[in-house]
Amino acid sequence: MRNNHGLAAALVALSMTVAGCAEVQRASEDIARQSGNPRLAGAIHGVGNVVGSLFPIGYEEESSIGQAMALQVVARYGGVVDQPELVRYVNLVGRAVANTSDRPDIPYRVAILEHESINAFAAPAGYIFVTRGLLKQVRNEAELAAVLGHEIAHVSQKHILDVIQRSKRLAGVTEAGLSYATSNPAAFKSVIDGAVKKLLDEGLDQDKETEADTIGEVFATRVGYDAEAYVNLLTRLRDLKGDDRALFKTHPNFSARIEAVQKTIQSKHLVATGVLLPERFARMTKRV
Amino acid sequence: MSSGLEGEEAVIPPRVTRVVLIVLWIGLLAWSAESWAETVYVQAKTAQLRVGKTSLDAVVGNVKFGDALEVVGRDGSWVEVKTSAGARGWIFANKTSSSKPSGTNDTLAKLGQSMRGSDASATTASAGARGLDKASEGYANRAGVSARDRDAVDRMTAYQIPDQEVEEFLREGGLGEYAK
Repeated sequence: MRNNHGLAAALVALSMTVAGCAEVQRASEDIARQSGNPRLAGAIHGVGNVVGSLFPIGYEEESSIGQAMALQVVARYGGVVDQPELVRYVNLVGRAVANTSDRPDIPYRVAILEHESINAFAAPAGYIFVTRGLLKQVRNEAELAAVLGHEIAHVSQKHILDVIQRSKRLAGVTEAGLSYATSNPAAFKSVIDGAVKKLLDEGLDQDKETEADTIGEVFATRVGYDAEAYVNLLTRLRDLKGDDRALFKTHPNFSARIEAVQKTIQSKHLVATGVLLPERFARMTKRV
Repeated sequence: MSSGLEGEEAVIPPRVTRVVLIVLWIGLLAWSAESWAETVYVQAKTAQLRVGKTSLDAVVGNVKFGDALEVVGRDGSWVEVKTSAGARGWIFANKTSSSKPSGTNDTLAKLGQSMRGSDASATTASAGARGLDKASEGYANRAGVSARDRDAVDRMTAYQIPDQEVEEFLREGGLGEYAK
């Protein structure tokens, strides 16, 4: 009798899970458990997880990943700047760009990292970081909007989630790590540490960086910021750091990035509106 | 014999039937395309419909991300649209898209999350209105993240600026539909 129940539950679970019916899968799992077969219940649960791992990561899971990664970014970069007016300003620019991005329906927050290096990062679910060092290199609001547009594009294109899902090693952990983030924190930590290493130490792949440059440029110009602003900033950073000293060895060099952005400006007919807002930027960032 | 011939005359060759059907189908498609109005979708968190095509014109309605709008006309940076509820007004063209945005939590993502049964994003019991979620708090404990840094991410997560203030910021800067 137990076996019959178990077999039925297993068959229903397999067929319905493959068909994409999570409710039935859970019901089958309950039947197996109630019929006194915890191992079968576990197996059915496992089938659901394996099949589930083939689907995209939902926002709630993305939010957990983003928040945990944000913790590590803040810890590694010396904490965040606590200057309410400045923080509010960079968030206003970020929100202005994000609200007409391709993914305006999630919250975006920008924090300034207490670090003199020139850098910016984005963790999933809209956690965006710029360093104090980068803000010192920016000359107007249009340039800041372009930097934030680049980071918002990483979020809207789900670049980090893609890295997590694509990596074979992490994919196995993703299934367990996200399902059991609370009961198996070691697995979750492994997912986060791998993603943070990619973000902070190795850098994302060239095609993702180029995509973020070009899409971010579109986001910033949609709000009306001058299309040439990002080219000017990248050119200044190239002059400062040298073309071979891009942020990561995996990144395209500055010349390639500038060329890609210029091509986007031409192909999409993006306009040099003249809207740079250097005075507002100077007023709001005088204490950087 | 004669009845057989009559029968043959009555039958329309299948090839002719196919041609007639294809011609009818093409005609139907052409007619449908004519009768379909152009649709755009709201590609912004929120947007206003205005009486006229400037940001100074009065707001007649609000629409949100993903709403479908029927195009009535276009002029420069503005599109005149009609909502499904029948409201009519002008929307800034940069806040629309010709393709339907997919949204953050599409059906597949929700299904996957449901199958994996994740409850990681539930906030911790002690957190109150805000706080790190369970998974992140567990991570912070294991990774030895300091209380100061946890607080920074906690505050970052809770950070909000009302849409109205963002709108005011755009207006002050002459950005978006407030371009001078």
